[in-house]
Amino acid sequence: MKDLILRNRYTLLVVTLIVYMGVLVTEGMITGRKARVIEFENPYFDFNSTDFEGFRERRNVNENIRAEFDDTGDV
Amino acid sequence: MDKFAVLQFYALLKREVLEHRNIFIGAPVVVALLLLVATIWVAMQIDQSQLAEGLLFVSVLFDGLSPFDMAPFIMLLAIPFYLTLYVCSVIYLINTLYQDRKEMSVLFWQSMPVSNLQTVLSKIVAIVLVAPIFYVLIIFAMYLIAMVWLTILGISNDVDLVGIGYLFLAAIASLVLIYISAVVTGLWLLPSVGWLLLFSAFAKKTPLLWAAGVLILVGFLEDFIFGTQFLANWVASQTSDPNQYLIFEFQSVFERVFNYDTLFGIVVGSILIAGAVFMRRFTD
Repeated sequence: MKDLILRNRYTLLVVTLIVYMGVLVTEGMITGRKARVIEFENPYFDFNSTDFEGFRERRNVNENIRAEFDDTGDV
Repeated sequence: MDKFAVLQFYALLKREVLEHRNIFIGAPVVVALLLLVATIWVAMQIDQSQLAEGLLFVSVLFDGLSPFDMAPFIMLLAIPFYLTLYVCSVIYLINTLYQDRKEMSVLFWQSMPVSNLQTVLSKIVAIVLVAPIFYVLIIFAMYLIAMVWLTILGISNDVDLVGIGYLFLAAIASLVLIYISAVVTGLWLLPSVGWLLLFSAFAKKTPLLWAAGVLILVGFLEDFIFGTQFLANWVASQTSDPNQYLIFEFQSVFERVFNYDTLFGIVVGSILIAGAVFMRRFTD
């Protein structure tokens, strides 16, 4: 078995990738893994590259606030 | 671990730093110089009185604030260094084992009393633990120059410098966060580290193309064979949000390191690193 795996670089690469994919697929099936981002507590900056919708919504809110402020004029 | 093994490992780390000085020292020095030149250029465009007013504003802003609370905001200055470290790490990892075989120095190192495991581990430790030390030291030197300049500016314009002292303390606290963030990033991205090292040890030519090509191919194969996309999901989960591995508070270090995804990533990365260690025996 060892001789077969270490016969040449290609067999070793294939075996490594099979083990790697085997572990990933097994874990994925057990845990039902989906593409997800763990959201840790971060009170300082609000950046999440996967949350473009949230970014757009926040920008719209900011623009609305600015428009309301402009309407009231300088006091 | 005996003293000889420690000395061996230290020698291997020293070799990595000496052979890759451009990546460990040159690149961050260039970034720091560019930032300093840019800052001086901007300062020259501003009137001296406005500069003094700005300094007074910063001094009042930071006066009395906890350096640990303000450190995350100072960390923003390190973004160019993070990006540089990220790019340099990819270049280093994909080339390091490939270069050894290309210039045949692998034969010399294999004739020495060091194992392939020690060599590969030294490369991982060099980029995950040692490289950030150099980056942090260079950022510290940059902060020091900036502080001396601000102090001279403050004294010449009669500005109270207590707030600048707090700013300096916040900058020092941010250096610790920058280092911890860089190390946690290395652990979080260990599967990527292992993948790049595996193809660095495997490819006879263009290791980066092999690494990218096989990743795409294996993703398609998984979809064809199992009808699942766990590899794509895994890559997307690990790489899409830097918030998962950047540290902004000292309290959050434990939860970032000892969570399921990081630990599973270390296990999966170890498989690929083991592959790279065994692959190193093929020296042709």
